[in-house]
Amino acid sequence: MADYQLIIIGGGLSGLAAGIRSARFGQKTLIIEGHSLPGGLNSYYYRQGYLLETGLHAMTNFAAQGSKHAPLNRLFRQLKFSRKKFITHEQLGSEVIFPQASLQFSNDLHLLCEEIARHFPASIDRFRAMAQEIDAYNPFAEVPWQSARNFLRDRLAEPLLEDMLLLPLMVYGNAEEHDMDLGQFAIMFRALFLEGFFRPEGTIKDLIDMLLEQYAQFGGELRFRAPVAAIINKDSKVQGVRLQNGEEITADAVLSTVGIPGTAQLSGWPLDIDQYIGRMTFMETISMIPEPHLPPEREGRTILFYSLNDELRYHQSTQAIDPSWGVICFPNNFQGIYKEKDAPTQIRVTNAANYELWQQAAADKGQYRRLKEKCGQQSTTAVSQILGDYTQGAVFHDSFTPMTIERFTEKCGGAVYGSPIKIKSGRTPWSNLFIAGTDQGYLGIVGSMLSGVTIVNQHLLG
Amino acid sequence: MTRDEIKDIILEIIEDIDEDADFDDLDADQPLRDQLDLDSMDFLDIVMELRKRYKLQIPEEDYPELATLTSCVNYLEPKLKDV
Repeated sequence: MADYQLIIIGGGLSGLAAGIRSARFGQKTLIIEGHSLPGGLNSYYYRQGYLLETGLHAMTNFAAQGSKHAPLNRLFRQLKFSRKKFITHEQLGSEVIFPQASLQFSNDLHLLCEEIARHFPASIDRFRAMAQEIDAYNPFAEVPWQSARNFLRDRLAEPLLEDMLLLPLMVYGNAEEHDMDLGQFAIMFRALFLEGFFRPEGTIKDLIDMLLEQYAQFGGELRFRAPVAAIINKDSKVQGVRLQNGEEITADAVLSTVGIPGTAQLSGWPLDIDQYIGRMTFMETISMIPEPHLPPEREGRTILFYSLNDELRYHQSTQAIDPSWGVICFPNNFQGIYKEKDAPTQIRVTNAANYELWQQAAADKGQYRRLKEKCGQQSTTAVSQILGDYTQGAVFHDSFTPMTIERFTEKCGGAVYGSPIKIKSGRTPWSNLFIAGTDQGYLGIVGSMLSGVTIVNQHLLG
Repeated sequence: MTRDEIKDIILEIIEDIDEDADFDDLDADQPLRDQLDLDSMDFLDIVMELRKRYKLQIPEEDYPELATLTSCVNYLEPKLKDV
């Protein structure tokens, strides 16, 4: 008999959710995490007395309690969490800013419709019809890749509006460059525009702790600092895993959440790995500012998606970073979140980056540090065009680069949204090895957890 | 287990799965899914919970037997008669 019925590689959100599903019905389950903290991409760290979140700007897929079919509430039932006790803070409002126009949106689609009617009066009826079409679309059907850009071009016939809608949808989840799969577009459109942004009460740590507690409650086991060296396999089945310390643990089935390239490396899956390594990676700079003086038209926003170029440039940066477009997030600006008096305001800026250039710089510590400083300044200069001189008096800055992302999240190439090619079925060449998480094709925090849940439901409750 | 006991078990399981479940107007002969607004993932939980509690293996082709409260009881009665 194997040591476990299920071994899950990776203690990120998809792995923890999968673990809860498996353990809930009495399966002997082990989660193996390489690092000392859970959460994967959505984790946290401490700096100068502050708990800082790594991935979270906002959660998408907001749904009020009682709306039973909404992804968030389905997820909560599946994990046996009480939605009633889960406190959420909705966004104040966000904005897409291009040189030619800007569009505000909130968790109520009406605002976006009004804004489109104002700036693109010829397109509003087309947009409404498209939103309905997307609402009825099944993004989970396993169909061949279709171009979201062609779809938008056909439905809206307004290239600027197309770019403005795509910016937030792409930057919060698209692993491909230039275009995205229609199914992924539909998932993101619903998650951001039809459902919307919110934050859970507290920090990402509270959410992760809630998952850990539930998993332990159901009898699940978890090991930290246990990096996996290999997925042991023979013929058509896998037998378990071998840790880097040489220890072997057997299991009836293995669920890998370390992505397609990572899973291929561990199992010897003969794949053209390069095809599965995403090129979209980012640098993020967090600034803590006691009293930021923002232009009045930017006050009270939750997230700003900006492009200083007339057209969206969603592709890998040719320089270490491309500050000409990006995301500015104000994690304090959610409904019902009151900042402590004297606590500084946090502003997070995300820009596309180039993995190879950061990797080259990382060979020399001094060079890497200088590049980080230089890119941080470039980002600040660009963002000043939107926010004015916002970093004045900053208490501190901290940034993470594609190298940080790769090191802590196992995402090859620092590609936060994983592989541009997804495996929706979660299947691998081995009948009892499955993948879940980003590379299975669900997106965002709610999505990654639903991915873990779905793959366990489909293949691993047998 | 009697028919009434089985019925109570089913309702208890559903209540456990869905904190918003409301049985006030439940018609035992109408589909549970429509009346309680359950989806296939919730249905799987009913099956899994029965398995966990009573070691009952319900094959997928039998899932339609669980459509209404009455059909659940009919289907489970012989399987749970010695429990």
